[in-house]
Amino acid sequence: MTSINLALTAISLGAIAALSGIGVLVTYRTNGVLNFAQGGIATLVAYVFREMVVEWGLPIWLAAVLALAVLSPGIGLLLERLVFRPLARRRASAAESLVASLGVLVLTLGMTAGIWGLGSRGDAPSIFPADTVKIGDTRVGVDALAELAMVAVFCIVLGILGAKTKFGRQVRAVVDDRQLAELSGVPADKVAAAGWALGTTMAGLTGILLAPQFRLTPYGLTLLVLETFAVVVAARLASLPVAVLTALGIAVAQSELKQVTLDGDAGTVLTVLQSNLFIVMLLVLLLVVPRLRELGNGDSGSTGSFSSRGAPPSGPVSRDEARRDVLGKLGGAALLMAPMTFAPADLRSAFMVPALALIFLSLVILTGYSGQLSLGVAGYAGLGSLFTLKLANGDLFGLPAVPGIWAMFIGAIMVAPIGLITGWPAIRRRGLVLALTTFAVGAVVSRFVFEQPDFASGLYVDPLELFGAELGDKAFYLFELFCLGLGLLVVRSLHHGRIGRALLAVRDHSEGAAAVGVDVRSLKLLAFTISSAVAGLGGALLTFSASSFSTDDFAPMQSLLWFTAVVVFGADSAAGAIIAAGFIVAIDVLAPAGSSILAVGILALSLGWLPGGLASAVRGGIAWVARVLADEFVPSAHTTHAAANRLARAGGAVPGMAGAAGATRHGAAGSSGTSGSGGSGGGIRIVLPAGAPRPTPLGETLLVAVANHTARSGLTLEMLPSARAGEADSAERQGLAGPRPHLPGVPVERGA
Amino acid sequence: MTANPAAIGDTHLAVDPNGAPTAEAGLPAVELRLENARAGYRTIEVLHGIDMAIPSGAVTALLGANGAGKSTTLRTIAGLIPLRGGSLTWRGEQITKMTTTNRAKRGLMLVPDERAVFATLSVRDNLQIIAEASGHPDITPALEAFPRLQERLSQRAGSMSGGERRMLALARALLARPSVLMVDELSLGLSPKVASELFAWLGTVADAGTTVILADQYTEEALALADMVYVLHRGEITFAGTPAELGASELLAASAS
Repeated sequence: MTSINLALTAISLGAIAALSGIGVLVTYRTNGVLNFAQGGIATLVAYVFREMVVEWGLPIWLAAVLALAVLSPGIGLLLERLVFRPLARRRASAAESLVASLGVLVLTLGMTAGIWGLGSRGDAPSIFPADTVKIGDTRVGVDALAELAMVAVFCIVLGILGAKTKFGRQVRAVVDDRQLAELSGVPADKVAAAGWALGTTMAGLTGILLAPQFRLTPYGLTLLVLETFAVVVAARLASLPVAVLTALGIAVAQSELKQVTLDGDAGTVLTVLQSNLFIVMLLVLLLVVPRLRELGNGDSGSTGSFSSRGAPPSGPVSRDEARRDVLGKLGGAALLMAPMTFAPADLRSAFMVPALALIFLSLVILTGYSGQLSLGVAGYAGLGSLFTLKLANGDLFGLPAVPGIWAMFIGAIMVAPIGLITGWPAIRRRGLVLALTTFAVGAVVSRFVFEQPDFASGLYVDPLELFGAELGDKAFYLFELFCLGLGLLVVRSLHHGRIGRALLAVRDHSEGAAAVGVDVRSLKLLAFTISSAVAGLGGALLTFSASSFSTDDFAPMQSLLWFTAVVVFGADSAAGAIIAAGFIVAIDVLAPAGSSILAVGILALSLGWLPGGLASAVRGGIAWVARVLADEFVPSAHTTHAAANRLARAGGAVPGMAGAAGATRHGAAGSSGTSGSGGSGGGIRIVLPAGAPRPTPLGETLLVAVANHTARSGLTLEMLPSARAGEADSAERQGLAGPRPHLPGVPVERGA
Repeated sequence: MTANPAAIGDTHLAVDPNGAPTAEAGLPAVELRLENARAGYRTIEVLHGIDMAIPSGAVTALLGANGAGKSTTLRTIAGLIPLRGGSLTWRGEQITKMTTTNRAKRGLMLVPDERAVFATLSVRDNLQIIAEASGHPDITPALEAFPRLQERLSQRAGSMSGGERRMLALARALLARPSVLMVDELSLGLSPKVASELFAWLGTVADAGTTVILADQYTEEALALADMVYVLHRGEITFAGTPAELGASELLAASAS
């Protein structure tokens, strides 16, 4: 084929990539959301379209109308109303919107996979006839011309709309500041909804047009659409014409590469390039393009809102606090040990839990503690696994074969320098750009390493041996727990003391941290390096759990799913990471395959209502219940705030303050934003009515729990029967650990 | 400072419940009325059931220290914060459920204390948007009132000085032709000279018949302009009356920050 012929065959793909890019840009410019779900929505619509034509036998035009004029915009309207409007209302950061869009992606993928399965289908109908038109001496498909025409029409219409019209101004106003737009009488919700509807319609169109060109698989088509983000990056998130030209340019270049043949390793690279130029260009553009024209005030890097906790207490912790902490850890350890008692098959299913937990811990380090988005963790995990297997097989850089267990640790450590190098771009990148960069790194690693037979075939997984004895199932599980323990130690050392505080400072305000002398650059690199090694270890364990290396385990889409899961379960919570792993494995074992994807997606969508993820919601829920219960016991007051004030005024010295040595109100964390009057008036006395029945042991325990949680939220609380107020004063000092008096005062044991 | 139920009762003394002017206060009809209004953010309640009657065509000043609930009151009236209890009526009509956009379209205008202009948009677009939304797409009245904006029309609003942004915010308010104009912290971050200019301009707006509500810590200027004063403390009203009735102790409490 001549160059011209190759170029013409590429036009169709280029035009579709352009349409996809336009869709992403429309959503971004109208809502400030970089819509990762574009691929998932495209896939879902493509599947529904195929279902309508192939299974229901609807005429193609009718199916197209239903898919593009009803289903696609409907999805957009629904998403805006249920997911993104609540986020916009509370001025969520771009990072949170990004996570929500990942949630939508995961959800749509889960739906598609759940309904139609993961298998591929080659019978996706095309909306254009297969005719060709002769231009000069070559023939061009009607579809390519029609697609090109669509691109032109969209560009012109959107260009006109965006430039000088009232609607264009309103869109820009809504994106700039939704509240102010509403205050100015702009129907912000309608404008945002219109943006979403248009964006998802473009997504649906992309899916329907792409499906007949490839075999239709849920993951494949989704990833294909995500690769077109290269176009969006080239357009610096703003320029439609640049996006279109880049799309056509990459498509043509990819096609032209087919003329070239090279030998040896260069040939291998070239072969991969011939079908993966988009993802490579995504990475290259991200590294080259100096700055994207991001919307808003540049807070897109802030992950503070899904990492809600601060540093752990650095001072001495009271006995009760420490005891509860130890109890919690023992309980968790006992749960992790539980699979040891399972039947062999179930125990083998549980193998995945510690492995996944380690991978999730690596995300906790990176996102929860140091505030960097990472959508490429599967790359590190996969490399860890690959290095380990190659070392164990004696196949890595001519190194001698190493026993499996040692290979695992050495392999994990070998991932660290790769984490260091790939972390380099993160020094100057935040938020969306960093998310895209890490995603591109993961995808490129997957395409150029994991999917290459030269690297990733002929690997065999030998059972692990320790001191010459083969590890049985139980021993292997124990070994996994040992590795998880190591990971937890690493996490702990990164979260405590000087380094932990410095990391949190970088997470919450990196400029501020730099200003007070924190070495932001080194800390970010440290987080990337350690996190990649932990992920590598997790990846190796994952492979040994499954007894085989599968590229699917470390596909780029896995990174997105795993990241979403970690954020949902609390990005800053090590326990959350382990629970997330257990949750995913349990659901996949108990329910049909793919259900865990669906479950994580649904949970992710609730982030609009649950900032901080499930972990934080549970923490908040306990505090809320405690507050409500506490209110029940406070006589004649509708808020604890009012009660506290009233008591402070009326009583002067509130016994609660005397009894709680060192207890202070923690800032404004109580139920009142106006902590005032010298910060001294926060004591609440629970006065049981005279003659009220004595609490049962259960009731007593409940009250103690309530008091403790209320104390944590910044209020001091005290319970004593009204008749014996004086006596209880001395009793309450003894705290929970001491011998309990008949009706104990409830101590507040948390130090400042 | 305590929540004094008697002081809340005073509100009703100034204006009778039907909104008709009362003889002793000499105030005109009630434009807006908050009754037992409670509002807040997340788990924190800021307004603990306040009663307020805003006289029509006059200047009402909300005074109080930081965190007293002034901004929350204004944001509640504008619809940015939902009422958790009580009611909000505008000229006798319940508007508790009305959206912010519709309130704005019908002439309830809030100039917030921060983010009062679209920072990434040009000055012209800032003006144009609100002019179009109000149905009078001509921006010249704003440029006549604030000539300094004329030379900055194509500049990004975010790149202007604090005083200029405040001016732009008020110019936008002017174009909206509101029947009720609420200004949160007019003097925040402004030099005394600029602040006086802007207060003077607000005086002319009020003279033209617009109902004005001011929330300010710059008590003196606000009091000089006001016909009616509410003093808020920790989400409760501790004084309601005319500036003349405002005693020295309340004044001290109101201006304390």
